[in-house]
Amino acid sequence: MSILLQAQHIDKHFGDFHVLKDVSIDVQEGSIFGLLGPNGAGKTTLIRTLTRITAPDSGAILFKGQPLTDETRRHFGYLPEERGLYRKMRVWEQAMYLIRLKGVDKSTASANLNDWFDRFNMQDWRSKRVEELSKGMQQKLQFVITAAHDPEILILDEPFSGFDPVNTEEIKQEILGLKKSGKTIIFSTHNMSSVEELCDDIALIHKGQNILHGATQEVRSSFRQNLYEITFKGSKVAFANAMGYQFEIDSIKETGDKLHALVRSHTDEGSRLLLKAMADHVEVLSFHEKMPSMHDIFIAQVSSPEASTDPAQDAA
Amino acid sequence: MQHKIILIIRREYLSRIRKRSFIVMGLLGPLIMAGVIIFAFWSSLEESEDQKILVVDDSYPFFADLEGTSTIALDIQDISLAKAEALLEVSDYTGILYLPGKILANKSAELIFKKQPSFRVQRQLEERLQQYLEISKLKEFNLTETDYRRLKAPVIISTFQYQGPGQDAERADILPAIVGQIFSILIFFFIFLYSVSVMRGVIEEKTNRIIEVMVSSVRPFQLMMGKIIGVGAVGLTQFLIWVVLTFTIVSIGQTIIIGNKYVAGAEPPGAATEMIQEQMSAENALSLTQISADDNLFNQIRRVNFPLMIGLFLFYFIGGYLLYSALMAAVGSAVDSDTDTQQFVLPVTFPLLLAYFLSFQVFANPGSTMAIWLSIIPFTSPIIMMIRVSYGIPSADLWQVYLSCALLIATFIAAAWVSARIYRTGILMYGKKASLRELLKWITFR
Repeated sequence: MSILLQAQHIDKHFGDFHVLKDVSIDVQEGSIFGLLGPNGAGKTTLIRTLTRITAPDSGAILFKGQPLTDETRRHFGYLPEERGLYRKMRVWEQAMYLIRLKGVDKSTASANLNDWFDRFNMQDWRSKRVEELSKGMQQKLQFVITAAHDPEILILDEPFSGFDPVNTEEIKQEILGLKKSGKTIIFSTHNMSSVEELCDDIALIHKGQNILHGATQEVRSSFRQNLYEITFKGSKVAFANAMGYQFEIDSIKETGDKLHALVRSHTDEGSRLLLKAMADHVEVLSFHEKMPSMHDIFIAQVSSPEASTDPAQDAA
Repeated sequence: MQHKIILIIRREYLSRIRKRSFIVMGLLGPLIMAGVIIFAFWSSLEESEDQKILVVDDSYPFFADLEGTSTIALDIQDISLAKAEALLEVSDYTGILYLPGKILANKSAELIFKKQPSFRVQRQLEERLQQYLEISKLKEFNLTETDYRRLKAPVIISTFQYQGPGQDAERADILPAIVGQIFSILIFFFIFLYSVSVMRGVIEEKTNRIIEVMVSSVRPFQLMMGKIIGVGAVGLTQFLIWVVLTFTIVSIGQTIIIGNKYVAGAEPPGAATEMIQEQMSAENALSLTQISADDNLFNQIRRVNFPLMIGLFLFYFIGGYLLYSALMAAVGSAVDSDTDTQQFVLPVTFPLLLAYFLSFQVFANPGSTMAIWLSIIPFTSPIIMMIRVSYGIPSADLWQVYLSCALLIATFIAAAWVSARIYRTGILMYGKKASLRELLKWITFR
């Protein structure tokens, strides 16, 4: 896989406010990239520099190794966090307008849009005014408008915010479908479970800095705490006896005739030794390593003291 | 890239043209304007309604030979005013002309009417009385009527603008100046209406949050200029509709009215035209009664240099609109809602309002230093220069017109540049009420 979009050492000030500090990200072609970070971290500003809406003070955005131009921008589909439509315009007219502004000719735009309208069951809405649509319908329309000019890369700022669970699932499936058809997707979100489900790579932006990045699985395993979740049948005492000095029971609880335990290992070869130790004492029903969730990592990173030391705050 | 700005212009144009308010304005405006013109025309014809006036002559038979006109019949009687009033009640007299005994001394008479007669009737009566008194005085001084005609020396001053040695001076009349004033008022209203419309459009895009989608496809400058051009085209369309519809309605109305009158045999069309002229002159409150035959109103109108006036009108109309709408686009981008606009709209439109109010002074004194400056300064020139030009600009001062045009173009380019910089930052700023200092800072952002 090659790198499709690259941000190199992006720095951006708004007046005295240092919004982005030397942020670099690499987005692999055909992957889904998650941009995480607390509110006000600079995610939206980073996205706006990626879409060439705002220019960075220094640093470069490269698309296929070339600096971004107005011409290459047509390969981008952008769904902003604060998204809106012309309220008085009719759905079809509106969609055609926005797609043609991407530089798509009339007949291609019309054909693409027809496909998408079919797929989302939106044909009945065509001549409705945008203000007559429900919020969920408007969001679907916005998603369609973002994708219908067949961009190579889609940049979605908080794509799930405001969607109900059914629509969220539909959009998730669409994102996966777009990935399958070779598109690259960058999205920012606070929805950590969607990150685990969808993202190949992530970057965590905090106070204008990229404090954590890499493949989602690698990031998660780098934060592994050698915790194992075990479900078994048998006696609690026997189970406790089986644990040597290398293991420590974090918690144990009972549901029906089954027991669930969380065990912390003090050695890196935890799984092999633990299984061996338990085998003679209890009947193991399930055994797996508990990976830290993105949620836990996020909270740990954002609230950890070393992450919050930054020069701008010292200056302020 | 050009193709995108055309798409934007098209949307801005069509979305406004299709609005109900545009259609209503497009029909209502001409209807009102044509209505006013037709009413003026019609009421001028209405005056041909015959008047039958009972003349109460206190010094009877002094006025016994007073004659009326084709439409005003006079019945001179030696009765008291009280009796005449009683008579008015029961007869078909339309009014009483009361000539008190003191009329020779204080030269005033009274007209008592049932139905308000027109200004024209009053003036005709005045003329007749004046003439009658003058002729009666002739006898007093032993003068013949030929002597009297010699004595009467009506003087008309025609004004000419000096054009330099060896060149014919140009006629300068008041009427072309009125045309200029009308043009400048039109420019004022269109600049005001449509630059505010641009501002509203920008605010709408911002509050709708469509703006960020837009600027991910087009450059903010394209969006801003597309909107300005689109809205300007709407203004021109509206203006064109007004002109065409007003002319159409007026000429249809005129044909119908004149047609009716002609069939009734009351007035041939020629007389009707003459009446319109008189009506217009009365409305303008200009004493045009003394204008000689070769210098009537229509000759004056004919002397208006329409190609030049319309050319300059379009230039200042478009130039002034572009300048102000660029500024108003910046204002729209800096605020979050219509209610926040006041603090910026007033300073921006102040020169425009000032020009409008001062235009009446310029109308009175087009050659003043103030008029010259105001006609050169780009923020006021679209309104003021129209008035000056309508009076006729001496060729020695033509450079002022060129300078004014050049400055307007240059200022528009500068304003568009500054506004575009405020705009592209402002459209993405929410929640913070921007101060003027902040706006200046935005100009310097990368």
